[in-house]
Formats: sequence, structure tokens, C-alpha cells
Amino acid sequence: MPDALALYDAMRARADAEYAAWRTPQRPRIDIAIDQSSITNGALRTRAAIEQVVASRNAAVDLGRVHGYGMQWLHPTVQVTFPDGATVMYGPVTPAEAEAIVDEATGRWGAAESLRIGMLTGEREGVPSLRDHPFFALEPRERRLLRNLGLTDPESLEHYIARDGYRATARMLGRHSTQEQVRTVMNDAGLTGRGGANFPTGVKWNFLFGAAGEEHYLVCNADEGDPGAWVNRVVMEGDPHLLIEGMVIGAFGTRSEYGFIYLRDEYPLSIARMEQAIRQAEAAGLLGDDILGTGLNFHLRVIRGAGAYVCGEETGLLSSIQDDRGMPRVKPPFPAQRGVFDKPSNVNNVESYANAPLILMHGSEWYRQYGTERATGTKIFSFSGDIARVGFMEVPFGVPLAKVLDVCGGMVGGKLKAIQSGGPLGSLLPPESLPKLILQGDSFTPWDAIMGGGGIVFCNDQTSVLVLAEMFAAFVEEESCGRCTTCQRGNQRQTEILRRIIDGRGRREDEPNLKLLDRTLQFSNCVHGQFSPKITRNMLQHFHADYEAALRGEDPSLTMPGLYRVVVTAQYDPKLAEAVAICPVDAFRGSAGNRSIDDAACIRCGACIDVAPNAVAKRAKSGVLALN
Amino acid sequence: MPLETESKVRLRALVAEFRPNNGDLLAALHRVQHEFGYLSAEALEVIGDQLGLFPAHVYGAASYYEEFRFDPPAHTNIRWCSGPACRLRNGNGIRDALLASLGIEHMPGKTEDGRVGVILGQCNGACEVAPMVWLEQHETHTIEPIGGMSAARAVRMARALRDGATIEEATHA
Repeated sequence: MPDALALYDAMRARADAEYAAWRTPQRPRIDIAIDQSSITNGALRTRAAIEQVVASRNAAVDLGRVHGYGMQWLHPTVQVTFPDGATVMYGPVTPAEAEAIVDEATGRWGAAESLRIGMLTGEREGVPSLRDHPFFALEPRERRLLRNLGLTDPESLEHYIARDGYRATARMLGRHSTQEQVRTVMNDAGLTGRGGANFPTGVKWNFLFGAAGEEHYLVCNADEGDPGAWVNRVVMEGDPHLLIEGMVIGAFGTRSEYGFIYLRDEYPLSIARMEQAIRQAEAAGLLGDDILGTGLNFHLRVIRGAGAYVCGEETGLLSSIQDDRGMPRVKPPFPAQRGVFDKPSNVNNVESYANAPLILMHGSEWYRQYGTERATGTKIFSFSGDIARVGFMEVPFGVPLAKVLDVCGGMVGGKLKAIQSGGPLGSLLPPESLPKLILQGDSFTPWDAIMGGGGIVFCNDQTSVLVLAEMFAAFVEEESCGRCTTCQRGNQRQTEILRRIIDGRGRREDEPNLKLLDRTLQFSNCVHGQFSPKITRNMLQHFHADYEAALRGEDPSLTMPGLYRVVVTAQYDPKLAEAVAICPVDAFRGSAGNRSIDDAACIRCGACIDVAPNAVAKRAKSGVLALN
Repeated sequence: MPLETESKVRLRALVAEFRPNNGDLLAALHRVQHEFGYLSAEALEVIGDQLGLFPAHVYGAASYYEEFRFDPPAHTNIRWCSGPACRLRNGNGIRDALLASLGIEHMPGKTEDGRVGVILGQCNGACEVAPMVWLEQHETHTIEPIGGMSAARAVRMARALRDGATIEEATHA
């Protein structure tokens, strides 16, 4: 029987050679960052333009692919790797800059100087290290979960292996680790569920290991539905084998022969990269039957979701896998007792699994070097909203949120009004919480808030918190599975009340009624119903003055549709005619010099303000009184 | 045995590899919708046959998910992003401008001639370009993300598509 470590070493030697040739190429190589964000920023057009320049000049460069590095506000980014192994990052690179990039790569150093962000590896005079960019000031010097971004082609198994990938698996199998050792090291490291629930991963694995029967299922929750969170996407698009390896380790530790990755439909590139990586791992003997010749079998499949948020709840997810409506059910029985196809199962988040190879490789002590006593290790976060630098980063637990806002370049367009964490079932935090919050779950607790799965949105004062509350209320109403009357009807009422308030028809009894709904919703079976009033509750707790003002008919942000009107402010502005023409509901009345806007017809879309900001404007409606 | 329609033969071939009790329903529904653009009653029946499920079960499951359609899609769909970063930048105004420009009452919906539709989109984490929409054509399997939207641009885009513009033209409208 061939030894697992010997098999791995042979694989590794081939991978090392291939990777070395990629890292120190014979001629310069231009790598375009291809991920969901960069594609949205036009990376495919940039790539096509660079290809065209290279082809027309028959330039002595190669083209390749990487994943974005985290600085999404600079997308699309491009990296050039020179024969000495130095890698320069550029961005944003539009098709118009293709020539400059090719020039710089082919010897005209300086041609793309203005596009340089920094050195990913190596040195060049006058170009700072990328790691010195303020955006990464809170990251550890050496990334862990994101260690391969920019330094590998995410679609290459060989690159992953050459960067120590599958080494933990080979050692685990080759040195005959016991299943208990694997679970114990996860517990010692303090790894907890990264989806937001924070349950110890090793304990969950213990449940499944000890469950009756031989047919165990290992499930990955990749249904990252919280708007504003794209932590799992980065792992799956940036380093898909890290997730697979984590699941192989989990499968060994829990005696599972079958696995599913339940992946949301909104991540088509994640689906493609995960499916490709699974085929690569199977072909290499790292997944499927008889892994590394040790007799371990683990069969992994991607299940593509179809746009149902509540499938991110683990029992809803399991129902969805087994050909049913993805409706959550009552627990117990817990998945470890009765999961997918009624067999014992374990569900973990993508990032939870992705930590497993690193912990097994380096040990629990190493893992605990970062983070705090109660939250060990590092975590990926995505930051968005009204900030200068939108992107993702990997930081140790315990980092102050105020520092995060600093490295994100601070607020743009207005002052900080609210911090939204944990998605639609999460929280709405006031500005005064900022100096006290650290990125660690229990730091949010005093604010009756949760940190959640890693998506944090900073909102400026140009938006009303009541509008935000209505938006999330509508989301959770729409996504309720409808099983519990409390959740189905309760969320309808919650949305109706909030909608009425922002329409300028708030009532005195709205607050007690929202609180009554909150209490009623606690009787729902799953967290969807139980957590669905949280943001509205936070709004009443932390932004009560805004609620009171809304009842009085005041909204300084001028975003509550019922509390403002759009008026003509300059009759002879040359842009006014354009405003009249753009109005999708023909709400302008009167002739030139005597224009007005029919308030009953106006839908407050803002198109006229977009084209003629000096001729039309929002004005607060006065005299709207709370009905009682 | 009555002769099968051509579409039914095609449907059977499409889902032939899927098996009962194997977690294949979502994959079967996706495959058929990708090919036909929507899930016809006939398709639901064929999928049920293949997976050993009653049509009511197949329809019940499929209708649970936002992404499955039971009518042909509009020639071009504008998928409106409902994420928070987009909402902070007049996302609601963009949605209302799209619907009003096209005379569509509710989302999801489409124009009477079936040329343009507006459907709900979810955040996929490209929030640096907020607010955004995607233009989608089933016929060509095109998905074109468009960031930096505004209500005015939404009106121009919707009007252009309504008047027969291509995705490329609408992008620059």
C-alpha cells in the first residue's frame, strides 16, 4: 500500500516546480484579478483589452489570473510578475490603460506609474510594499485564511499544493492521526462557528462522530445571504481547495463519507470554481474514493441554491438539499441526530471549515496567537456602505471597530449615522457605540446586537434609520418561509407599520405595537422569526429621537418619502428642461418659467435631481402631525 | 402510447442523469430553466417523473425559490440590487424609476410586450460600485453588471431597452 505522505511528496514536487515557474516566470506575466467584484468593475473588458494589445504587438508577456486582494474600491486590479519574482499591483485598470500596463510589463518601467498600488512581493525603488497600505494596517503581517490571494491562480490545484495545501491532510492520514485528535485540536484552538452563531466547531464534530449509524453527512453552509457580507465568497472564489481540504479533515474527524456544499445561486463564479476544484481534487486522489491510498472515502458535491434566504438556516438548508421546500423545522432533533436524508449530519460555515487545515497544520497554540481569550484566531470581514474604501480583510478578533473605520478611509458623504452588522436578522448600532465596539461577538451584546457572519455596513446621515429598518423588515417578511404564523403575519404587520411611518402617517401606538410584535415573534420556531424584529428594536432603542421626529413629521435626511416633496428651485436653470424630460411619471406642470411638480404624481425617484441638482431639490413637508 | 411532444423528449434527455432521493431536484430545475428560460407545467411533470415526485411536490418546492420562473422571462431583465450599500445610494429611487419608466406595477414584472422586465436581485458583494443593476438576457445567457447607477440613468436605460436597444446600447444610455 503506498504511503499517503510519499504520494503527497511526489505530488508536491511536481506542484513546486510548476509554482516556481509561475512565481519567477521566464518572461513577465500580467495577472488580471478575476472575481465577482472585479468582474462587476469590468475586469473581463480589461482582460480583453490587454489581450488585444499583447496580440497586436506580439509582446513578450504571458497572461494569467489571480483573485482580488481585498481592495475592491480599486478594482479591477492587475498584477505584473517579473522574472525576478517581484509582483507589482495596479488599479483600477480600465481598458484604456491596457497599453500602459503592457508597456510597463515589457520594459518601459514607469509607463503605468500612476496606476501602481504597491509591491505584493519583491522590491522596486519608489514603490511601497502593499502590506504597508493603510487598508491592511489591522491585518496580521502574514495572512492566514487569505494567504493565497494574489499569490496563486485560484483555479490551480498545483498552486494550492505548492503553498502547503493538502499537507495537513497528508500528515493526518500518513501519520495515522486519530479522529479524536483532529477534533480535539479544533477545540483546543477555540475554533467556533463563523456563520455568526459561534458554536464550538470541534464540539459539533464530536456530536456527529458519536451519532448512530455509519452514514454521516458533512454539509457546508455556503448560502451567504446576508446582504453586505461576502466573506465566504472570497474563500470559495479565491482559494476553493482550502474549503475542500477543510471538509476532508472534517469528514475524517466525523466519520462522514458524503458531503454537500450548499452554495447560493447569486455566486456563479463560486459555483464554477468549487465544482472545478472538486474535479481536480478527485482526479488527484485527494477527494472521492480511497483518498491518498488510505481507504478514506469522501464524496463532495455542490448544491446550487435558488434564492431563498432562509435556506441559510441549517434545517432549512437540509430540507432544500433533499428535494423539498427549504423550510426550517423545529429542533430537536438536531442535524447530528437527523439531518440530510434523515441521517446524522453536521453543518458548518465555509470559513469554519477553511480554518481547519490551518489549525491542523500549525497547531492550536499557533492559532491562538491572534485574537482574544474568548475569540481566538482571525476572521475575514467585508466592509461596505458610505466609506471611502470598500473591500474585505482578515483581522484578528478583538480589533476596535473605530480603527476599522479609519483604515476604510472614514465616512464619505456625511457623518456616521448607524452601523449595520449581521445582515437583516442582525443589528443597527448608534454612532456612540463605535468607540466601544471590538470585532468580537460579545462586544456587541450590551447593545442588544450581534456581530454576525462578517458583513458590516457603515451608514451616513443622509439616510434615515427608519428607511433602513423598513428595508430590512421588508426583506425578512419576503424571506419568511411562512410556517409559523408569528413570523409570516408578524413580519407583514411590522413592515406595514414602518412603511406607514416613512410615508408620514406614523401613529402614537406604533411603538407599543412594534414592541408587541417583537414579543410575539419570539414564539417563532427558528431564528428567522425570532431575530426578525431585532433591527426595528435597535432602531427604537438606539435611535428613539429619530422615531419621535418621524412621528412629528421631521426627517433631516429627507429620505422618508412621505415627509418631503420635490420642488423647482430655479426656473431659469438650463438643466430644468432635462429634468422635465427625465421624469418617468411626467409630474412636472406648467410651462417654461412657471414649472412646478405635482406632488401627488411625483414618485420621489430623484431622477430630476440627478440631472438638474441646481434647479430641483427636496424640501421638508411641514405640518405633518402624528395621528392619534 | 401517445407520441411525445418534441419539447418533452428534449426535457427527458435534459434531466435523464438525475435520480430520486439524491438531492437532485434543484439541479434539475436549474438545468431546465437555463435551457428553456422558465419552468413549464410540462417541465415540472417530466422532472417529477424522473425524480419520483408528485407534480404538486415539484411545484411546491420550485415555487418556494425566488429564482425559478413559471412564465417565459422578458427578453431583457433588469435585475435590481436590493442590498444595503445600494439602498444607501438611492436604491429605492432607482427601482421606482425603472418600474415607472416601463409602466410595470410590481416587481417582478415585465412590459406587456415582454421586452423588458424588472426582477429582484440580491447583494453579491461588489458594494464598491453601489448602486448597481444587472442586465440579463436568457436568449444569449448574458449577464452584464452595471455599477454607479442613478435614478436618471435608470430612466434612460429603461426607456432605451423599451425602445429596442441592445444591452450594449442600454449600458451607455
